[in-house]
Amino acid sequence: MPGRNYQATRYSGLDQINTGNAKDLKVAWTFSTGVNRGHEAAPLVVGDTMYVVTPFPNILYALDLKNGGAAKWKYQPEPASAAQGVACCDLVNRGCVFSNGKIIFNTLDDHTIAVDANTGKEIWKTKLGDINHGETITMAPLVVKDKVYVGNSGGELGVRGWLTCLDSNSGKTLWRAWSTGSDADCLIGPDFKPFYKKDQGKELGVSTWPPNRWQIGGGTVWGWVTYDPESNLIYYGTGNPGVWNPELRPGDNKWACSIFARDADTGAAKWAYQMNPHDEFDHDGINENLVLDLPINGQTRKVLLAAQRNGYVYMWDRTTGEVLSATPFIRITSSFGVDLKTGELHTNPEKKPMTGKTVRDVAPAAPGAKDWQPCAWSPRTNLLYIPHQNLAMDYQGTEASYIEGTPYLGVNVKMYANGNANRGEFCAWDPFQKKKVWAIQEDLPVWSGTVVTAGDITFYGTMDGWFKCVNAKTGDVLWQFKCGSGIIGQPVTYKGPDGKQYVAVLAGVGGWPGAIVAADLDPRDPTGALGFVNAMTDLPQKTTKGGMLYVFALP
Amino acid sequence: MKTRVLMTICCAAALVSCKREERGFRVAPPSAEKIETKSLSDLHPAGSSVAPPTKNDYRENAYAVSEGEKLFAAYNCVGCHAHGGGGMGPALMDNKWIYGSQPQQIFSTIVEGRPNGMPSFRGKIPDFQVWELVAYVRSMSGLGTSGASPNRSDEMKGPTPPSSMPKQTPQNSSLPKSAERPPP
Amino acid sequence: MTALLAISEIQSALAPAGTQAMRISQLWWVYLTVLSAIFVLVAIALFIALSRRHAVAELPAPPFAPGEASERRTSTAVTLCVIATVIILFVLLFWDFFTGRAIYALTSDKEFLHIKVIGHQWWWEVQYQDPTPSNVMTTANELHVPLGKTVKLELQSNDVIHSFWVPAMHGKKDLIPGHPTVQYFRADKEGTFRGQCAEFCGHQHAHMRLEFVAESPDKYEAWLAAARQNAPNPTTAMQQRGLQVFMSNQCIMCHTIEGTAARASLGPDLTHLASRSFIAAGAVPNTRGYLAGWIANPQNIKPGVRMPPNPLSSDDLNALVDYLESLK
Repeated sequence: MPGRNYQATRYSGLDQINTGNAKDLKVAWTFSTGVNRGHEAAPLVVGDTMYVVTPFPNILYALDLKNGGAAKWKYQPEPASAAQGVACCDLVNRGCVFSNGKIIFNTLDDHTIAVDANTGKEIWKTKLGDINHGETITMAPLVVKDKVYVGNSGGELGVRGWLTCLDSNSGKTLWRAWSTGSDADCLIGPDFKPFYKKDQGKELGVSTWPPNRWQIGGGTVWGWVTYDPESNLIYYGTGNPGVWNPELRPGDNKWACSIFARDADTGAAKWAYQMNPHDEFDHDGINENLVLDLPINGQTRKVLLAAQRNGYVYMWDRTTGEVLSATPFIRITSSFGVDLKTGELHTNPEKKPMTGKTVRDVAPAAPGAKDWQPCAWSPRTNLLYIPHQNLAMDYQGTEASYIEGTPYLGVNVKMYANGNANRGEFCAWDPFQKKKVWAIQEDLPVWSGTVVTAGDITFYGTMDGWFKCVNAKTGDVLWQFKCGSGIIGQPVTYKGPDGKQYVAVLAGVGGWPGAIVAADLDPRDPTGALGFVNAMTDLPQKTTKGGMLYVFALP
Repeated sequence: MKTRVLMTICCAAALVSCKREERGFRVAPPSAEKIETKSLSDLHPAGSSVAPPTKNDYRENAYAVSEGEKLFAAYNCVGCHAHGGGGMGPALMDNKWIYGSQPQQIFSTIVEGRPNGMPSFRGKIPDFQVWELVAYVRSMSGLGTSGASPNRSDEMKGPTPPSSMPKQTPQNSSLPKSAERPPP
Repeated sequence: MTALLAISEIQSALAPAGTQAMRISQLWWVYLTVLSAIFVLVAIALFIALSRRHAVAELPAPPFAPGEASERRTSTAVTLCVIATVIILFVLLFWDFFTGRAIYALTSDKEFLHIKVIGHQWWWEVQYQDPTPSNVMTTANELHVPLGKTVKLELQSNDVIHSFWVPAMHGKKDLIPGHPTVQYFRADKEGTFRGQCAEFCGHQHAHMRLEFVAESPDKYEAWLAAARQNAPNPTTAMQQRGLQVFMSNQCIMCHTIEGTAARASLGPDLTHLASRSFIAAGAVPNTRGYLAGWIANPQNIKPGVRMPPNPLSSDDLNALVDYLESLK
C-alpha cells in the first residue's frame, strides 16, 4: 500500500543505500506512462512486479522487475471522459493497493476496481458515486483483511462526503459512513464517545447546518485512511464543508474537517474530533494520521500524529480522541491556537471572511500548510518528515448558488508566499520537543510525498524536477537528480528480485499547484486554479508536462 | 457648412452610443435556429461548403457584455474557468480554442457541452443569455469590441496594498551600510 | 383617492404601528405644529408690516429721525424673537435627541428576534436566524414579526446600495455592500404593511417591495413553524409534471425549493411561494394569471428584471403553475 504499512509511517527497513553511499545513486531504468497530467501515485512493488496507476485515464501498468521494467500487462478502465470536468484539482490518482492476489484502485469516474495481480484481468468493478453530482475519486484505497475503504472527492462541487467499505472478494458495498447528515447515516451509535463537549450531542450532522444543507455539505474523504490492528480501528479525516464562503453556512458544519475513529468491521464511530468547526478557509482535515506508540512524559501513549492543513501538528490520544498537543509548524494568521482543555480552535476574528469583503494575508492559504502529500516517520530518528508548502492568500467572499455538478465556492482566492518566505519546505519535526530539527527551504511548494529508510536517508521531489536524497538526521542533501518533469509523486524504496535496494518515483507535474502547467492555465489571472495560479506563475518556465517513472539504484 | 459637418458627426456619434448602451429587455436575441454549425475541420472533401459565421448582435453592446460577465459568475462558470485563467476547465483569456472561437462555436460549446468535461447547459440557460455569455467570453481574450468591454475587472487583482506589505529591510548597495539607519 | 387612502394605511410614516415609527411620527407632528405656528406668525407679521407700509406710503415722508422709544421697541422685539427662536430650536433639538435615544433604546435589549435581510436587484431575501443552524429559515419579499418583541434586522447587500424602509415600523436604513448595518424595532399594532426600497438601485427600484406582517406571537409562531417545513410533495399528476418542468428547465438554475433538488440562490426562495400575497417583489398579486404571465415573460411585467422569459408549452406552464400553487 502507498503508506508502506497500516500505520502509514512510510518507513522502510532497507539500509543498503545509506548516508555514506547515497551520492552514488544512478538511474537504473525508466518507464513512460504515456499520460501528461499530475502523477501523485506511489509505485507499488509486490514480489517481482511493480504496479503503477496513472492519472486519468487511470491506466494500471504491471512492470516486470526481472526484465528491466518491461510492461507485463496494462489494464485500461476507460473512465468516463466527462469526469475530467468535475475533478477539482487536476486529474490525479494517489495509488493502488495489493491484497490477496488483487490490485485494487479507484478511477476518477467513481469506480473501485479489483484486478488480478498476475494476469491483469478485471475481477470486479463497483460504481460508488455519480459524476453528475460532482463526485470523483482520487484517493488510494486501504485494504484491511478482506475490507476495502474508499472515500470520494468533490468538496469544491458541494458533494456529500462518504467513506465506503467494500468486500475485497466480491466488490459488494458492506457499509457507507456519510460525513454529514443524521447519526444513522454517519454510523454514529451508542459507542460514539467524543472526548470534547463540543463534539458531543445527537444529530449534530444535521443540526449544525442550515436546513437541508448537509445534503451538499462536503466533508469528502479524499485523503488517507490508517489502521490500528491492536484496537481494530480505522482513522481518517474529512474534507472541507460545502460552499467555501462560510457566511453561507452558519453553524459548526459537522462532520466536515473532522477526524473519525471507526470500527474497521462495522464502521461504527468510536470518537470524532472536529478540527475546524465552521471552516473558513478550505482547511480540510484529510491528512494522514500516523499510528504511533510514543513515550510522552515518561509513559508510552498510543497516539495519532498528523501535520494538518490548518498549520498545526496534532497529536491525539488515539483511544479517546484527546488532543495531546497541537503546535504550529508554519506562520499562522488564521487562528491563534488550539485550547487543549476544550479542543476549540481559536480563530482570528480579523480574518473572518464575508461576502463582498476581501481579507488579506490569510495563512495558511486554502491548500493549507500541508496538503495531501504524506509525511514519513522514522523510528530510528524519532522524527516526522513533513513535505509541505508555505503560502498565504487573499480571500474575497462572493455570492454562491448551488447548481448540481458545478463548482460551489463563493470566493475568489489569490495565493502568494507566506510572510515573504519560500513557498515550500521539507522539514524534520520533533514531536517531543515540538519543534523543527532541520528544514530545507524550497522555492516552490513541496508537493511530493516522502519516504525514510533504515539507512537514515529520506527522499522527496520538487516541482521543478529535482529528486533529492537527504540525510535524515542532519538535513544535508546527499544527492539530487533532475527528472524530466516536476515531481509531485510519492517516492518508494524496495528490494528488487536481485536483492538490491531500489528507489522509485513518478515524475509528472500537476496537482492543484501544477495545474498551471498540466492544464495550460493562463498565469495572467491570479484567481486561476482557485487562486493557486498566482503563487505559481513562474512554474511554466521551470518545468514542463510529463509522466515518467524513474528507478534509481547504486551501481 | 462647418456646423452641418459638426452636426453630422454628432449624430453619427450618438448612433454609435445607441448601439453600445441599448438595453433590449424585449428584443428578440439571435436564436439557436439561426446557427449554422461551423465545420471543425479544415479538410473538406469535394470542396468547401462552409457557411458564413453567425453574427452575435450583443458583441457591440456594453450592457449585454456586462450581463454576460454577471451570468458567468452566477452560473458557476467562474468555478472552473476562473476569471479567464482557468482551473478545472481550460483558460479562456488565451489564444487556444479547443472547440473553436467563433461565436456559434462557443454557443454550441455552452449549449451542447464538450466530451472532456464541459457540461451541457441545454434547456437550462435561455438562448439570449448564452449569447451574452458568448460576447463576454470572447471579450476576455480581446475578441470583443473595446468600446463595449469594461476597462477594469471587478475581482481582486493588483499588487498587495501597502497596509499588508511585509516589512522589508532597505538595501542600498551604492551607499555604505551605515547610511541605512532606522528612521527616527 | 381610495388608493391613496389605502397606501396611507399600509405605507405611511404617519400611520405608525411600532414604537420607533410612533416616536418618529410624534417628532414629525411636533415639528409640523411648531414650524407651522411659526410660519403662520411670521406670515401674519409680514402681512401686517406690508399693510402698514402701504398706509404710510400715502403720507409725506417723515424726516429720518427714529425716536428713541421706537428704537428701544425694535431692539426689544428682536431680542425677544431671538430668545424665542433659541428656545424653540433647543426644544426641538432636545426633542430630537430624546426621540433618537428612545428609538435606539432597543439596541441594548438582550432578547431579540434576529433576522437577516439581504437586498438584491430587485427583491428582498429574508433569513430568520436561530442559535440552531438547522432552524434558520429563508424566505423572500415578506417579513413576519410577532407583536411586542424586539426585532434586530441585520441588513446586507451583495450588489448595489439599497435602503430598507417599512414606514409603519421605523425610518430608513441603507444596505451597503460589504458593510452590514443593523436596525432595531418593535411592532405594537397588528396589521399588514408595506416596505419599499428607498435608495435608487436600478431599473426596477420602484418594484422592490416587501410585505410586512405584524401579528400576535401565536400566529407568528405558527407561521414560522409552517415556513420551516420542506415544500409539500406534489399530489396530483399535474403537480408532479409541474415539478418535473421546474427541475428540467431554467427554473432550477436560480431558485430553491427546500426538500427538492432545486437549491440555487440567485432568485427568491420558492419553498412556500403560494402562501405569499404578491409575486415579483410586490409588483403584482399572487394569482394564477399573474403567476403564469410572470413565468412566461417577466420582462412584460418588470422590464429589466433578472429573470429571463421561459418559453414553455401551455401544458407545461399550466402544470408548473399547478405545482407552484401547491407550495403552501
